Amino acid sequence: MSLPTQSSGLFTEQVSEDKLVVSIGPQHPGAGHFRFTIRVEGDTITECIPDPGYVHRGGEKQTEYRTYIQSIPMIERSSLLDVTNITLPYCMAAEELMGIQVPPRAQYLRMIMSENQRIISHLYWLGIQGIFLGHSTMFMWPLGDRDIFIDLGQMIGGARITYSYCVPGGVRNDMPPNFKDRAMKVFEYFESRLKDYERIFFRSPLFEKRTRGVGVLSRSDAISLGVAGQVLRASGVKSDTRIDEPYCFYKDISFEVPVYDDGDTWARCMVHLEEMRQSMSIIRQCLEKMPQGQIKVKLSPQQRAQAGEAYCRTEAARGAMAFHIISDGSTKPYRTKWSVPSFRNLIALPKLLVGSHVADMPAIYWSLDYWPVEADR
Amino acid sequence: MVAQELESQQQQQQPPKKGSASLHSHEGPGLNILVGKAREVIQQAIVDPVTYLANWGRLYSLWPVHLETACCSIEWGAVSGPRFDAERYGILEAFGSLRQCDLVVVHGTVTRKMAPRLRFIYDQMPEPKWVIAMGACSISGGVYFDSYNVLPGVDQVIPVDVYVPGCPPRPEELIDAFILLQDKIRNSNIKKTS
Ligand code: SF4
Repeated sequence: MSLPTQSSGLFTEQVSEDKLVVSIGPQHPGAGHFRFTIRVEGDTITECIPDPGYVHRGGEKQTEYRTYIQSIPMIERSSLLDVTNITLPYCMAAEELMGIQVPPRAQYLRMIMSENQRIISHLYWLGIQGIFLGHSTMFMWPLGDRDIFIDLGQMIGGARITYSYCVPGGVRNDMPPNFKDRAMKVFEYFESRLKDYERIFFRSPLFEKRTRGVGVLSRSDAISLGVAGQVLRASGVKSDTRIDEPYCFYKDISFEVPVYDDGDTWARCMVHLEEMRQSMSIIRQCLEKMPQGQIKVKLSPQQRAQAGEAYCRTEAARGAMAFHIISDGSTKPYRTKWSVPSFRNLIALPKLLVGSHVADMPAIYWSLDYWPVEADR
Repeated sequence: MVAQELESQQQQQQPPKKGSASLHSHEGPGLNILVGKAREVIQQAIVDPVTYLANWGRLYSLWPVHLETACCSIEWGAVSGPRFDAERYGILEAFGSLRQCDLVVVHGTVTRKMAPRLRFIYDQMPEPKWVIAMGACSISGGVYFDSYNVLPGVDQVIPVDVYVPGCPPRPEELIDAFILLQDKIRNSNIKKTS
């Protein structure tokens, strides 16, 4: 028997003595702009049907009636947690169609901003994961530290989070001269903070009890479902676009890709933690290696692209993010297709929830780092 | 409410003079002045303090319902965080039932799928209730003004008290909106809510 559809599934229904159908979201502390229906037997979830699409704003369609540069702020809004990483593949694909070579300094600036954004996004994730596990301190600490990294981004980008930094042809601003000193201070501070995080949260018995062995996704399932990012790496697959298909100057930078074999919520959390360390090390190396020079190739606002197709992939904060642009040679794309990691990770949710306890639901759900705005586009 | 009741009691206590229909118009100014004075006294002695107290109570304990509609909710997270700390103004997100909430902060875009839910949630909340429309999207559609799936403004579904422009608004702007809303509540009439 299938679950009730949207119209009838708004409320909790008692099906029999020990069976319930529970509708969760969109107004729910554990769901955000997302809804799913679960069937519960006692305390065990037996079926789960996700219902995404509450934030579908038709971004793909809208790029068709905006010029290449006009689309950028709108694409950025799809993943406000991760703004540089989502515009980067779009700009790379547009540059490929326009036949532009981006100056090396701009490439390094792009890398710095994307890694900074990755830390910002992971800290937001960590704050919410903390509160989902009933740990209020772990909500306050990462959100406070996140503001420090936002300030760092603000020094380069000029806005708090929406700086539309990458544009076809390069980046918008150069970095101020005092950025390097400031960044080094922030990293020094944050490294000691990460140790505090580990002490108070990641190694606490509460965290271990609530995440170890909860929501296990095996390696073969992870591959066959086609999940991305941290979910894939926590299931023992070493996959990272920055290493597999290096873009910008990632091939010149040495960093590690954290991989865990457990596949449970604990492993997914640890991958996030480790990635923040790696991102800081990447920014440090970028600041060392960065050459002087141009930051952008000047383009006309009505720049035309050659007819054809381009496909570019980068590693965003949640996993591989890809853009496919089809151009008919005019000033606007003919069609764009965005492949976002959040939406690909959603498919793992029913798999992970079935068989687990109701109380584990928030921890499993948020460990996928599912961001509905990005998934619905 | 209080004023009306007291007023009617007051009127009952007055001895009716030669048919009540002509009470206010033809019987000379004496009684009119008395009724007017009594109303003023009641207003100043009872209604004003009660209004002040009730508004003061509502003012600093606004409970926003946890409803995220789009990307502005990130700045909402920052406002709840330690740097901006909306709790200083008595605003703390209610993780319990929406029947204990009195504030809806619409975090940005409202799509056609979300709009009926938003209205549904708003209708379930008890009076008095207020709405803050956060972000360009909830005012006019913002960057998505020409999208096929986005409402051009949330005021098409629910009444809005304070609009906060920005995409997304900075946390300071949102705090400013809270202060504006508190001003509005401070000056509102207890008889007529929202
Ligand atoms: S106003 Fe801007 S940030 Fe807010 S929901 Fe709309 S697009 Fe997102």
